[in-house]
Amino acid sequence: MTRETHDEARTLIALGESLSDTQQAWLRAHLEDCEACRHYAEATDGVVRSLRSMPLAADARLVRATQMRVRFHARRLRETRERMWLVAVACLGVGLSATLTIPLLWRLFAWMGEWAGVSTLAWQAGFVFFFFAPALVVGVLLVARGTHLANDSERLR
Amino acid sequence: MESEASVIARGLRRRDPDLLDRLIEQYQHRLLRYLVYLSGNRELAEDLFQETWIRVLERGHQYDGKHEFSTWLYAVARNLTIDYLRKKSPLSLDGLMEGEEHAPLEPADPRPMAWELMQQHQQAERISAALLRIPAEYRETVMLRFQEGLALGEISTITRSPLGTVKSRLYRGLNLLMALLEGAQA
Repeated sequence: MTRETHDEARTLIALGESLSDTQQAWLRAHLEDCEACRHYAEATDGVVRSLRSMPLAADARLVRATQMRVRFHARRLRETRERMWLVAVACLGVGLSATLTIPLLWRLFAWMGEWAGVSTLAWQAGFVFFFFAPALVVGVLLVARGTHLANDSERLR
Repeated sequence: MESEASVIARGLRRRDPDLLDRLIEQYQHRLLRYLVYLSGNRELAEDLFQETWIRVLERGHQYDGKHEFSTWLYAVARNLTIDYLRKKSPLSLDGLMEGEEHAPLEPADPRPMAWELMQQHQQAERISAALLRIPAEYRETVMLRFQEGLALGEISTITRSPLGTVKSRLYRGLNLLMALLEGAQA
């Protein structure tokens, strides 16, 4: 028997239960003739049995802590999703409203500028400020609120 | 009738907390054992255990229910461990083993006779110590095959390695383990 034959037999032994019928038959025949590989197979079997019976348990504290963390995180994800949905609806409403009102407001500002006798540039600047001021205020408030929430979650850690 | 894997996939898409509670309980020992031997450190494995379930919650929609849930779970845990080790330093998985103290292993069932328990404990310690001395990729393959009872194909999916590589890791890992155990007994 060559060295390659023994190597092949030992590889098949290590693979355990994943062998085809042909491989199993070949291995059985080889083990009948080869004492060294038979010893190897017995040793492997011993190690594998020990590995399978090796005790290692997670304790109840870890499981409970994980379940609580997962539930808490799931709630946060749900809240974030709900908030995002509300923001999306609000954005849609604002977009629609802006599309409808911009032409009217533009005419109103033009008329007021003419009536007050101010330059075109002045009433146009007024219009831009009027248009963006609410968004700027809301943006600043959201950023401040976001920072506050982030601080809260940091404290909870 | 709907398969167990499809039920899990549907529950994960809904982020069902009751399902997650059940899965955490069901896979607690297997997942922790895998992480302990993958990372080589019980404390780190417990952190990774929690992070794995958070990731399962966040990315549960990616589980298609076509494969075993355990295969997907091990893959998630493995990627998380590798990400953690990459972030921490350019260490290999074995890098964590340097200078660590291995926590004693807890017996799963305290009922056997005292001498049996002692014998089991000693054997477990010997194997545990030997396992932690073989390269991480061999250790992982040996653990998945013989402790978790996964098929070679499943191990190949989890580790994203060709089947031939899995087979050779199994063979080499087992040989190294036996050599270390023989050395310890001699």
